[in-house]
Amino acid sequence: MLEVRNLKKEYRDDSVVTTALNGVSFLMEKGDFVAIIGPSGSGKSTLMHIMGFLDRPSSGVYKFEGQKMDDLTDDELAYIRNEKMGFVFQFFNLLPRTNVFNNVGLPLTYTKISKHEKEQRIKKAIDSVGLSHRINHMPNQLSGGEQQRVAIARAIVNHPSVIFADEPTGNLDSKSGQQVMEILQSLNDEGHTIILVTHEQYTSEMAKRVIKLKDGQIVSDEKIDSRRIAKDGLVK
Amino acid sequence: MNIKESIKISITALRANKSRSFLTVLGIVIGVGAVIVMMSLGGGAQNLILGQIASLGSNSIYIEPGSFDPKGGFGMDMAVEEMTIKTLKLKDVEAIKKDPLVDMVYPMAYGVARAVYRSEDEKVTFLGITPDAYIMDDWHAAIGREISDDDVKGTARVTTLGYKITKDLFGEEDPIGKTIRIKKTNFKVIGVMEERGTEMFQNYDEYAYVPITTAQKLLLGIDHLNAITVHAINEDAINPLMENIRLILRANHNIYNPEGDLSKDDFKIMSQVEATDMVSQITGILTAFLSSIAAIALIVGGIGIMNIMLVSVTERTREIGLRKAVGARNKDILNQFLIEAITLTVLGGVIGFIGGAVISFAASLGLSQVLNTDWAFVLPFGAVVLAFGVAVIVGLVFGIYPARKAAKLNPIEALRHE
Repeated sequence: MLEVRNLKKEYRDDSVVTTALNGVSFLMEKGDFVAIIGPSGSGKSTLMHIMGFLDRPSSGVYKFEGQKMDDLTDDELAYIRNEKMGFVFQFFNLLPRTNVFNNVGLPLTYTKISKHEKEQRIKKAIDSVGLSHRINHMPNQLSGGEQQRVAIARAIVNHPSVIFADEPTGNLDSKSGQQVMEILQSLNDEGHTIILVTHEQYTSEMAKRVIKLKDGQIVSDEKIDSRRIAKDGLVK
Repeated sequence: MNIKESIKISITALRANKSRSFLTVLGIVIGVGAVIVMMSLGGGAQNLILGQIASLGSNSIYIEPGSFDPKGGFGMDMAVEEMTIKTLKLKDVEAIKKDPLVDMVYPMAYGVARAVYRSEDEKVTFLGITPDAYIMDDWHAAIGREISDDDVKGTARVTTLGYKITKDLFGEEDPIGKTIRIKKTNFKVIGVMEERGTEMFQNYDEYAYVPITTAQKLLLGIDHLNAITVHAINEDAINPLMENIRLILRANHNIYNPEGDLSKDDFKIMSQVEATDMVSQITGILTAFLSSIAAIALIVGGIGIMNIMLVSVTERTREIGLRKAVGARNKDILNQFLIEAITLTVLGGVIGFIGGAVISFAASLGLSQVLNTDWAFVLPFGAVVLAFGVAVIVGLVFGIYPARKAAKLNPIEALRHE
């Protein structure tokens, strides 16, 4: 469903050219759980941004569900992000002074569905991350782990086919991080494709496949035979 | 994303910074309020003056000394001409009276003097008139009698006094038959006029009417007139009568003017309709001028809005990035910030409108009291439309730049923004 072929991304700052991605290629199937791992500056975030239609590559081909990114306008990219992609960020990025219900409902603001259906979806999403009792709370009344779970609920409220998680545990204590990974694994079990960007070896081992990046190139791309199950508890 | 949703988001954002939002809209509040006050008071003044002109009767024609200036000059030139040109005489009145289109004629000569009764000494405006004045003004003596034709013929030293000057001179005493002194001349008070109040910035209650002949000979020492008011028999007669009067006066004043060049005449004739147009024009220009000064406050207010919207875009960069990531198009972001700016200005417009209306209302009440006249509070519909139209336009104009800036933000950079 995802095809990355010889992807390159260069940033130009005056006359200095920085290469973030230098010819990355891989395929990804529906229902996969891929961890992209690498040290900072390896290009993993840039890769995720391109795959999430937030950025365009300098050259190369990226196809999402058969559609070439080059053929799509910015508005069409926004539409696909809204309909088929969910995002979880390291710093949660919840709207302040906006309660859990409305934060989760944010993507539906840009969707044409009935008010009733919106409400149903939001409640179901909040329920699936176990925060129904916090539905009217403000973000600053929640712990970091709870905030990230709200962000996950927001990512799945539109029933996306792919969930992008950029260092979702990077800003959490290990117990909360483990809870977040548990939710991601169960979402994957339900059929969501998940792309996880992390720099933690331990977290990446909860995926089904790990792509290792260094200096904008893939250094290894392996299937995990015995993946860790977050539910089984902390081993770290 | 619909407009209702956008407005809801805007209000949430504005409520988050209540005092900042309030200070931001203050410029718009003052601007819109000032425009409303100017338009309301301008409209009130215009209605008042036009109403008073209309009350003189639509058949009225005014004759004044001075020549018609095609450039339409007002002010000093006109005032000086009225004092220096002495060609309008009572024989002109007699000649005009003979025209079959004339219903009534009322010549006038006036001045200001002190009126003395015993120890009381008051400033008084005296008007030399003929009995037609009472009928044409529809203003009569409340007690006593009015000046008669015999009084005019005999240069009688009699006067009918206004309500206020009577109170000032006589207090509770019965004034009828008493003698007052105006400019060393004794006048017998024969009547007291009905209370009338201020019209056209003239307080009629401070007037003393005397026969025209007495005013000319004994008080002013002149034989010319300050003005003549003519009533035509009907509305259709106004235009032909004006032409007839021109011919009569040219003949009487020995002005050779066969081509009818108005600037050669030594008099001006204006019908009530023309006077109405002139007043409307003057008050209209005045209102527009004052309103345009008030509009400067709106521009300053608009810059304030733009400033605060730019701050808001910077503060909410991460929010913009997030909204874009979850599917907001550039257009959605643009609309959101535009609607926010317009919500601010319209809010300011509403507050300014209410404030302006309240101030105008209070001012109308105050002016009625001070000027002793029935100044009516008006809120021109145009002012309502203008206030809200301007509020929306200011929001659009000064909101578009910050909104475009927000819409153009790169989502990744916006998300990384600290």
